[in-house]
Amino acid sequence: MSNNRVSRRQFLGYTLTGVGGFMAAGMLMPMVRFAVDPVLQQKDGGDFVLTDQRAEDITEEPVRVDFSFEQTDAWYVSEVTNSAWVYKEGDKLIALSPVCKHLGCTVNWAGDPEQPTQFFCPCHAGRYEKNGQNIAGTPPLGPLDEYEVQEQDGYVAIGAVRLNTLV
Amino acid sequence: MHFIGKDMDQYLSQKDYVDTAVVPLLQLDLSEAGLKSSAGASEYLQSLTALLEKQFKGRILLFPPLAYTKSADRSRLSKEISDEMEKAGFKHVFYMTTDAEWRSVEEMKNVLWLPAIPTEHMDKNFKQSVMEDQLRQVLPLFLKEWS
Repeated sequence: MSNNRVSRRQFLGYTLTGVGGFMAAGMLMPMVRFAVDPVLQQKDGGDFVLTDQRAEDITEEPVRVDFSFEQTDAWYVSEVTNSAWVYKEGDKLIALSPVCKHLGCTVNWAGDPEQPTQFFCPCHAGRYEKNGQNIAGTPPLGPLDEYEVQEQDGYVAIGAVRLNTLV
Repeated sequence: MHFIGKDMDQYLSQKDYVDTAVVPLLQLDLSEAGLKSSAGASEYLQSLTALLEKQFKGRILLFPPLAYTKSADRSRLSKEISDEMEKAGFKHVFYMTTDAEWRSVEEMKNVLWLPAIPTEHMDKNFKQSVMEDQLRQVLPLFLKEWS
């Protein structure tokens, strides 16, 4: 057996330190976990919706691509179908939102026979360039929004909407 | 726009641009024989008008369906609703219905009568494409009225 005997005072000192350490850790751990939680949060960056449009079939001419996702409105879950105008510029896919920046109608590519290379809003004759730039003198006050877009297994996948980065 | 509180704020501030009202007219038939087809017609009419609203959100105000029974006096109904629409200051009013009896009500202008398509057994994508076909038949009527 060892010779250095533990005195009563030492024994109590060790015990109190140990128990106090556990208590302090028990209090601090949740606080630290709460503090760093935002960092550990999973980013919803992978929130791309796969469409049934093949990426290789996309040309420089914008085509309408539909995609659906579930939307929760209070207790009511509904399946929403949205669409995007997708075209290629060089090798890069570009997806524009079809929602007119004036009052929210749906715009169409070449909807006005006189302007075959522009987006046209049938409600109040708003027009946009191919890159979404609104044409001065028509009602819209800003460019069309853009969707994040990528190719997944050869198909077009559409992500979050963001401000137009092309103009 | 829909007839909901949030859209009304926008409607009030953009009244000049939102000059068209769309009122679905819906016949309720709760008899055992007519219940199913009445419900199907309601589903069809509401899908179609919702799609129409999506296309023309900034120019039309879509009202909730005006429901009435089989024996309703349609000419009285038509007078009441069109008076109200006129008072509200809409330049164009469209009534959309699957009820064939409206075709004989002559006072009412711009009644778009469409035969209801039963969509209950269609799968989602097929239903979507059928409704879009239907919408394509209606769109030119609106564009013609506006031009």
